[in-house]
Amino acid sequence: MPCERKPMRYGHSEGHTEVCFDDSGNFIVTCGNDGDVRIWENLDDDDPRFITVGEKAYSLAVKNGKLVTASSNNTVQIHTFPDGEPDGILTRFTTNATHVTFNTCGSKVAAGSSDFLVKVVEVSDSSQQKTLRGHEAPVLSVTFDPKGDFLASASCDGSVVVWNIEEQAQVISWPLLQKTNDVSNAKSLCRLAWQPHTAKFLAVPVYTKVYLYERGSWDHVSTLSDDLLTQVNAEKEERGYEDLFDDDDQVMDEGWHDRHSPTKKAVSGVNEYEDDDDDFVIPATGRAKHRGTLLDDENSLDSGSLKLGPDNAVMTASPLPATLRPVYEGPQPTPPQKAFQPGSTSIHLTHRFMMWNSVGTVRGYNDEQDNAIDVEFHDTAVHHAMHLTNSLGHTMTDVSQEAVLLACPSADELASKIHCLHFSSWDTNKEWMVDLPKGEDARALCLGQGWAAVATSALMVRLFSIGGVQREIFSLPGAVVCMAGHGEQLLIVYHRGTSFDGEQALGVQLLQFGRKRRQIINGEPLPISHKSYLCWLGFTAEGTPCYVDSEGVVRMLNRSLGFTWTPVCNTRETCKSKSDHYWVVGVHENPQQLRCIPCKGSRYPPTLPRPAVAILPFKLPLCQTTTEKGQMEEQFWRSVLFHNHYSFLSSSGYEIDEVGQSQSQKEQQELLMKMFALSCKLEREFRCVELAELMTQNVVTLAIRYASRSRRMALAQRLSEIALEKAGQIHNEQEEEMEHCDIRRTSSGYDHTEGKEKHHRRQTLEDEPGQELEEEEDQQEMESQDGIEAPKRLNLFAKVPGSPLKQAAPLSSKGGRSNPFKVLGSWKSSPVSCQPRVANILDNMTSSRKSAPLSASVKKSNKTPVLKPLPPRAKTKAQSTLLQMCNAKAVIKKTQENIEAIDDQRKQADLSTAPSLADNSEAKRSKTGFEVWLEENRKNIIVDHPDLEEMDIIREAMGLFRNLSADERLAWTEQAKGPAGDVMDLKKRKRTKAGGGVENEIGQAEADENNAKKKKVVDPSKLSAFAFQKN
Amino acid sequence: MDPSEVEFLAEKELVKIIPNFNLDKLYLIGGDLGPFNPGLPLDVPVWLALNLKQRQKCRVVPPDWMDVEKLEEMRELERKAAAFTPVPSLYYMELTKLLLNHASDNIPKADEIRTLVKDIWDTRIAKLRLSADSFISQQEAHAKLDNLTLMEINTIRRFLLGSLNCMYRLRSNLQPGSSKGQFADF
Repeated sequence: MPCERKPMRYGHSEGHTEVCFDDSGNFIVTCGNDGDVRIWENLDDDDPRFITVGEKAYSLAVKNGKLVTASSNNTVQIHTFPDGEPDGILTRFTTNATHVTFNTCGSKVAAGSSDFLVKVVEVSDSSQQKTLRGHEAPVLSVTFDPKGDFLASASCDGSVVVWNIEEQAQVISWPLLQKTNDVSNAKSLCRLAWQPHTAKFLAVPVYTKVYLYERGSWDHVSTLSDDLLTQVNAEKEERGYEDLFDDDDQVMDEGWHDRHSPTKKAVSGVNEYEDDDDDFVIPATGRAKHRGTLLDDENSLDSGSLKLGPDNAVMTASPLPATLRPVYEGPQPTPPQKAFQPGSTSIHLTHRFMMWNSVGTVRGYNDEQDNAIDVEFHDTAVHHAMHLTNSLGHTMTDVSQEAVLLACPSADELASKIHCLHFSSWDTNKEWMVDLPKGEDARALCLGQGWAAVATSALMVRLFSIGGVQREIFSLPGAVVCMAGHGEQLLIVYHRGTSFDGEQALGVQLLQFGRKRRQIINGEPLPISHKSYLCWLGFTAEGTPCYVDSEGVVRMLNRSLGFTWTPVCNTRETCKSKSDHYWVVGVHENPQQLRCIPCKGSRYPPTLPRPAVAILPFKLPLCQTTTEKGQMEEQFWRSVLFHNHYSFLSSSGYEIDEVGQSQSQKEQQELLMKMFALSCKLEREFRCVELAELMTQNVVTLAIRYASRSRRMALAQRLSEIALEKAGQIHNEQEEEMEHCDIRRTSSGYDHTEGKEKHHRRQTLEDEPGQELEEEEDQQEMESQDGIEAPKRLNLFAKVPGSPLKQAAPLSSKGGRSNPFKVLGSWKSSPVSCQPRVANILDNMTSSRKSAPLSASVKKSNKTPVLKPLPPRAKTKAQSTLLQMCNAKAVIKKTQENIEAIDDQRKQADLSTAPSLADNSEAKRSKTGFEVWLEENRKNIIVDHPDLEEMDIIREAMGLFRNLSADERLAWTEQAKGPAGDVMDLKKRKRTKAGGGVENEIGQAEADENNAKKKKVVDPSKLSAFAFQKN
Repeated sequence: MDPSEVEFLAEKELVKIIPNFNLDKLYLIGGDLGPFNPGLPLDVPVWLALNLKQRQKCRVVPPDWMDVEKLEEMRELERKAAAFTPVPSLYYMELTKLLLNHASDNIPKADEIRTLVKDIWDTRIAKLRLSADSFISQQEAHAKLDNLTLMEINTIRRFLLGSLNCMYRLRSNLQPGSSKGQFADF
């Protein structure tokens, strides 16, 4: 039978209501909180008759033209029905009755009350009444046994009791319900029902189930529940249903097992607490013949199985879903952190910093009197302070040297707005405003140089030019957390996904605009401390991305290690108390400063009194920084990390602070040398070699000297190999560069330098022919000493006709070659930085060796600070100490006096072949004994080992030379001194004039240094010297 | 010594300022100052701080002790103690005067601070007078006065020395005919 569920309507005002049909089924009778009993002809009856029975009506029953109501004046009254004439008071209670019901024939009325009593009264004679005592709480419901022997009642004390009416005694009691203190608090009204006529079963609704009890034995025979019962029970149940439903007069129950079927229909006389539905009355069909008896306010009936006729009363009672939720005890997702502006304090504060960065501060006031924004610049030269009334309710802001950018979220009708005060504009319009599309909110914003970026709630980043032109738009993979801009870089942090247990899953993008537009970091996870969130994001003043998490750890991007993040400082370590924080406002790499505001007992600083910026040092979390070794390592790596920006800046075409860079390199090399000395002292030679790998070639020379002075020959040997390697590398690099240059010869940059070079060359030619020649000779000398190099060079020479004067041209035509030297900043700077030290160490060494040759090394190694740089000395001195470091300047000095000598040499140079040239050229130093010996014995070696490379030959030769006896070696040395003597003397004299006797001594000392390592090292440095001259 | 001279000396004291301009290091005879970074606190002599302040080139950060609570505590201590208590700065009076006159807008509760410092000063001067009085009345030969600042010494110096000289003269005039030996009793 199809049942139609009609729309519901209001019958009474909010509160407890009851409903029933009258005997004839013509009317629906309801009562409610408003104290009226309404008699509806049907559901669409807009003007029901009503009988006012009291202030409130709690329950009603209709039978045989009599209406019995329980009202708030603690009485049970009778009215005639349907006229509504009062027909006397049936009984009274000390408090209100909760439920009234007729017996089957309508001769008796049973009433349950809140005073724990149940009364059974004869309708015709109200003096005939029986009182059933025994409940310990307000009575919920009462119902007559159709046969008239028993009465069942339910109470708030949790019990369902069957009474013998005649004996006024309890037959049985079941503790089935949940205990409550009042009817209004009861979960269920527990309307009980007997099986009609036969009264074989009593049905008791308990929570979501219905218990069936057998009359007489009062045994619990079955349970009807939502979940399907076992088969046996179900069958039994079916039988029970049959029993129940065979009866035409009374409809009861049940459709548990298919309550979700589409034909399901709720049928019952409903009365329900705590369910709005009980206010609505829906008769499904016109005539109700049967009286629906409520079994359970949480159950519905299946009309199909109930074979309801078209006259059935249909009422709603929507089933309450079971409120049991599965309990999940796994990791809980972290609420994603909200978007914020780095450098702003909490948005909840009435007086807050909306931005504090390196340019200025923006303070926002939002109290009763005022809603305003104050912009102040640290440097008043940028702009004067501004005071803006914040009528739009801006919550986000950023400030740069060019503009102030503000944004407000959307409110009601108003779209989210971007407001830019472009104060650096040269025209008269100093501001612009943009509305975001409807439904899109600005979440984060930042300013760069000439552009502004706004991240919105639509997972988009919108770029604007600073003048207000809309530019690129791109989507973000997740909700933005914050953004930072610097120059042409844009850094975005967003939510990469959901994370658990207090972690945040953040991703980071780094974009570069400008000429080379590209994404440098594309959406990699941003590492933050355990269970922390992002606090600050920005760039250092030099343009390296940087961020701070809530654990106070500052991390900086390491561009030289594949864009990894290095923790550089932990601000919490410097905090005195646990509740203190540092609020970071800026990071500087040079000088190394972490600018932050100490906040006592809070995360954010107050706006008043104006907080003062403090500076924290950086400290890499390296191990054992209390030891000397750890300290130096930390210093070294910190220095390396904090000077990465030089290479980044130069690579992206910015001007860089050359002085600063060379200083930093000097500092690093100094540290390396200190560590080297320390490792030497600790007899850690392997470690020494490892350190030497990090050194520049010049410093390796120094290290070799140090090692050899401290009698660590094996170490010195290894170091010399490293030095050679490094020299080789540099060589290769240069060559690569050269080839590179040849290819790109046409590019304007090089043309330019070339032109300059030529110009410069011409000048030097005119001014100092001597120097010119010297360079040539250097060139040749290099060829002679460096067999591998020779062919290429010669090729270059071959390009031009061979007149000596024009030989200058090819050199200059290799203008490109001078570029590599320029680029190699370390090369250029290191001689400058290292020379004083070289001189220094050598000074000490020479003197100490003279005084105490044996103990010298020991002393030296104990004195680590030996390597402290001295104030720069005269160039000449440095030159004399670094054997082959022929400085251009030094060369220039010796012009006139030397001319004759040079002339001589040029003649020789012209005449002699390459090797001999090397002898006679002004090599700035005497030949060593080894070299002389090598010349003599080279041929022999080549014969012995025909397949050897030049380097190997030298190495082999060194081995052989070392095998010679001391006397022999001395002889060779003497021999070496002889021929070079003239030149040497000449130079010596000059130097003595310039630098005093000490130099002479040093020069002498060096001339003594005949060991082979020396020579090896010397080769590349000659090359460097050459490079230096070029510049 | 003139109070203005003492004030001049006080101007050498360092005070923290927050400049709003950019300037490299200044190389002065007295030492290097700077570099000046906008927004970054920096220690400079008072004379420079006031000069910059007058040109609106900086904000002065009041010294730590220039705080109402600390000064109140100090005042109580000063009132209770019989001897002089240590002062926060050897030039507290001068600094207070200078900074409050020229940079009162950068110092919170300037008026209260002025009153408090004046209270401390009055207490100390009263103590000084009292001890000078007892020094003279008890005819002591020497007295130990710790924790006195230059300004305080300076205020009492002229009067005390003058009066001591005067007393000396009076005493020597009391016995015009007496010999030197007799006078030595004093």
